Amino acid sequence: MPKKYTAKDTSLHAAMREDILALQGRLDVHTLMAAARVLQEHDIKYIDLSELTALDTPGALFLCTLDENIHLSHVRPEHHALLNLIRQLELKPFPEAQEIPGWRQFIIKIGRGAADAWQNILEIITFIGRTTVVTTRAFIHPRNLRLPPLSHYIEETGIHALPIIGLMAIMISVVVGYQGVAQLRPYGSEELTVNLVAVSVLREMGVLVTAIMVSGRSGSAFAAELGMMKAREEIDALEVMGLKPMELLVVPRVIGLVIALPLLTFFADIMGLLGGAGITNALLGLSLLQYLDRVRDVVKGWDLFVGLIKAPFFAFLIATIGCMHGMKVRGSAESVGKETTSAVVQAIFVVLMLDALFSVLFEELKI
Amino acid sequence: MIAHQAPPILSARGIVNRFGAQEVHGHINLDVMPGEIFGIVGGSGAGKTVLLKTLLGLRRPNAGKVTFTGKKIETLRPAEKASLIGVLFQQGALFSSLTVAQNLMLPLREYTDLPLAVQERVAAMKLELAGIDADAGRKFPSELSGGMTRRVAFARALVLDPKILFLDEPTSDLDPLIADSIDHLILQLNQTLGMTIVIVTHDVNTLTAICRRVAVLVDKKVTIGTLDELMKSDQPWIHEFFHGARAAAAMRARHRSHHGNG
Repeated sequence: MPKKYTAKDTSLHAAMREDILALQGRLDVHTLMAAARVLQEHDIKYIDLSELTALDTPGALFLCTLDENIHLSHVRPEHHALLNLIRQLELKPFPEAQEIPGWRQFIIKIGRGAADAWQNILEIITFIGRTTVVTTRAFIHPRNLRLPPLSHYIEETGIHALPIIGLMAIMISVVVGYQGVAQLRPYGSEELTVNLVAVSVLREMGVLVTAIMVSGRSGSAFAAELGMMKAREEIDALEVMGLKPMELLVVPRVIGLVIALPLLTFFADIMGLLGGAGITNALLGLSLLQYLDRVRDVVKGWDLFVGLIKAPFFAFLIATIGCMHGMKVRGSAESVGKETTSAVVQAIFVVLMLDALFSVLFEELKI
Repeated sequence: MIAHQAPPILSARGIVNRFGAQEVHGHINLDVMPGEIFGIVGGSGAGKTVLLKTLLGLRRPNAGKVTFTGKKIETLRPAEKASLIGVLFQQGALFSSLTVAQNLMLPLREYTDLPLAVQERVAAMKLELAGIDADAGRKFPSELSGGMTRRVAFARALVLDPKILFLDEPTSDLDPLIADSIDHLILQLNQTLGMTIVIVTHDVNTLTAICRRVAVLVDKKVTIGTLDELMKSDQPWIHEFFHGARAAAAMRARHRSHHGNG
């Protein structure tokens, strides 16, 4: 009494007679596990393929890698070529993936992270040095200063950023104004909100919001632009023509941003003050004139300057870090994405760190 | 031998493709028979890639329809499509975040219920079939050379044993030795698995070495014929293509090998 086995999709039938297994139908990628199960459960010596109508390469691989004491019989002529093709291949498994225990991987990651961070700091310092040299040289020999790209980058990083920067500045001063009124009202001194908004916008908020926004907008754009140029060998093409990528690509971006960012910051300061006017008008009922009067009283000469003086330093670092990561791209598109991300993250980090240093400096100088 | 009575495995009827006012294809018809090796040629900008994308269903034509084994391409279920059609893209299109082995195993994981160990063995076998040592399995695509990328992409296109395999410029930018071995692989697949193969190519050598019928895209139209028929065409571009210096050398090689085979 022959036993019948059927794969799930019924396209393969296996009939057993003593130690002979007759396969009927299709032996393919969907049915071969059913055949494998039958072979595991029974002691088979011969596989009869005379009624096998279709065989694909995984099926052929299965037949070619059976135990040595299982023999194929009645192979159809059209399957011979395929079986021979698979047999002649040097069948070997993929190399084992290297298994490292979790705790070692953890330590390796920490070590590698620290090494990378150190390497990164060195690279940033080196690149800042190189950019400084090339930029200074461009000013000494103004012939090397290319004006059309420079004005392009001022437009791109400055003028095009005006709407978003203005909006952010207004919203930040609204947030600060709301907090000020809420916290100062119990002491009956909610009019001091004007001091809070005006001074914090001019000294810190204006320039920080602008710098962070520009890191995200332009720092990333610089990294991606230079990165794609690097990946498509455009930078190599410049080098071969005897042109200096640093001078041609990096300098206009850096100078452009150093010019644009202070202007943007000034714009953000104005918009922030306007936002403050709006919020104090809504919450405290101050008219615009009263508000401006208070602002003139509380803002000391240095406050605007303290904010603006930081802008070119931030701009220099944002542009330099963006360009540096662009130049670090190696080959693939994936690398462009990775470098762009690190450009933004590092630029914002460096901006905040530098801002903290400036705070200490101005405190010590009593400005 | 092509059985001309059999229904075509791939059929395109009245394909029109336009970009704005510019017409790329004006009412193209073509049939690919099961088991044949079909070439598509045309000058740069003649719309070969657009035609290929239309055939694959990646681009909806402005008019006309594409059918595989009688079913419209839009109506094929994903699993059906995956086991019917394989594509070797020109740049390989290997997934850069996956290793070579994972690239090959992705379709197996999605469309079959093979256990992981068997998936690995099938993938390793396909890699060997495409002429790549299984040792490369744990590498990432960015670590491969151009020729290796092409072969791995070839192996991935073959993973589900497609009935019809599309090859977009399979031998471009490869050295002649690798190009020859890829031609050989194409012939081998066609002969042992009966795989239907559609090749889009510039390479006259590939064309004369392996294609039985060729569609030439010129002036928004296709001219389809065997190589010998096309050789006799008096359409200027086709004449130039098959009688230019490169073509002449390829044809000489073809005749030599035909005589050699007796």
